[in-house]
Amino acid sequence: MHIPDGFIPLWQCAIYYVILAIALYFSLRWARTNLDEKRVPLMAVLAAGIFAIMSMNVPIPWGTSGHIVGGALVALIFLAPEAAVIVFTLVLIVQGLFFGDGGLTCLGANVLNMGIIGGCVGLYTFKALHRPIGKVPAIAVASWLSIFIAAEAVAVEMWLAGTFPLVLGLEFMGLYHAVIGVIEAILTVVVILALEKLRPDLLAWNRKNKTADLKAEGSEVTSK
Amino acid sequence: MSAAGSLHELEKANNKDSALHALDGRVKLIILIALIVYAVYTTDLSVLALMEVYLVILLIMSHLSLKDSFVKILLILPFGGFIAVFQPFIHVGTVIYTLPFGITVTAQGLSFGVLLMSRLVVALTCIVLLSSLSPMQEVVDSFKRLGMPRDLAMIFSLFIRYLFMFYDELERIRNAQKSRNFDIFNRKTAYLWRLKQVAYTIAMMFLHAFEQGETVYFSMLSRGYSEDSEIYNANKKLASRDFIFAGVTVGVIVGLELMKYTTII
Repeated sequence: MHIPDGFIPLWQCAIYYVILAIALYFSLRWARTNLDEKRVPLMAVLAAGIFAIMSMNVPIPWGTSGHIVGGALVALIFLAPEAAVIVFTLVLIVQGLFFGDGGLTCLGANVLNMGIIGGCVGLYTFKALHRPIGKVPAIAVASWLSIFIAAEAVAVEMWLAGTFPLVLGLEFMGLYHAVIGVIEAILTVVVILALEKLRPDLLAWNRKNKTADLKAEGSEVTSK
Repeated sequence: MSAAGSLHELEKANNKDSALHALDGRVKLIILIALIVYAVYTTDLSVLALMEVYLVILLIMSHLSLKDSFVKILLILPFGGFIAVFQPFIHVGTVIYTLPFGITVTAQGLSFGVLLMSRLVVALTCIVLLSSLSPMQEVVDSFKRLGMPRDLAMIFSLFIRYLFMFYDELERIRNAQKSRNFDIFNRKTAYLWRLKQVAYTIAMMFLHAFEQGETVYFSMLSRGYSEDSEIYNANKKLASRDFIFAGVTVGVIVGLELMKYTTII
């Protein structure tokens, strides 16, 4: 899903960089207001963890291998797509600068696909579905959709760049990532369930519920 | 994505000693990014070929093995090369060859595919050169000096420090799994079961990352870290070799651009 250098014209790269700058500005503002002082080491170490996690190859049924992207996972853990934007900006800078994985001129486009689109689609799909279909199916659908939509966004960007025909790109990327998305969904569900079991306090929705419960208890005590 | 081993290989390459290794991190970063931007901008194959020649000269001057460098490029190439290879078959234009099953090769597609591939090779040579010349921490320092936002610079700096720790952690987990005969690619065990084991490993890495993040925060706190802490940057002036390298490279870029308007190439 990483677009390399030379595949998108410079003027379009500039537009994606502007989108990245705006997203990063709001994400850092979110981190300052919503995370405590721990945010700096936490986001840094988490990004390093995600980077290592992304290097774990998982077999894909037809013989090749892939890896988890994790945009939805990060957004769901923090209940904020901003977290995915910060983490993916760092991860993609290092991947691009040191491993040639994703172009430096295409950094904006790559963060847009994996961080912004991946994080937003993952989180808002989960928010829309977790009441009607339940938490676990909602996580699965959200993470699958985050991969699928991000891949289709790559196809659209390549078409806009004049590098790949739209229909062929949508079909090709869609088909491949529809399968990859199933693996991403299974991994995201198991990871979140494991975190829920071992350290529920790390999941933002538990922290929010706890704060809401405490506030409700507090108001009851006051009214009594 | 590249294998964990390449992270340590990069560090080995950074330890070499050459005039280019000694350059200021900011100069290396800006100049190599400028070369990538120019490679993306140009549509002239001969310009790209001359850029590659210049980069090969830089690789030789850096005492880097040409064979290892090009093996690295070949390993990264499939990520984008796949799309470039498809161009002759999907691009509309003058048909120059017809293959069985009605597959056609067009002249425009062929030249666009060659252009994409050439840009990719030049950009990847720049990346291999930059990553072999500058240790990761030096690149982070260069970003800081070039005005990266304070919060992001601090996160970035810590991120690089912990990257190596997590690779070692992952390696330890893999070794522990191997010692118990676990092989993720072994088809004798159920696919879903294998996937579940990977997910547990990811969950453990995540947990470890969170806990390590807290530990790092407390150790930073005990050393005086606060919300308003600034990162110390030693004042480092550019040396004459930095100006020479920057001047020569900018001269090469300008020269190549001007040559387009003459009959030299």
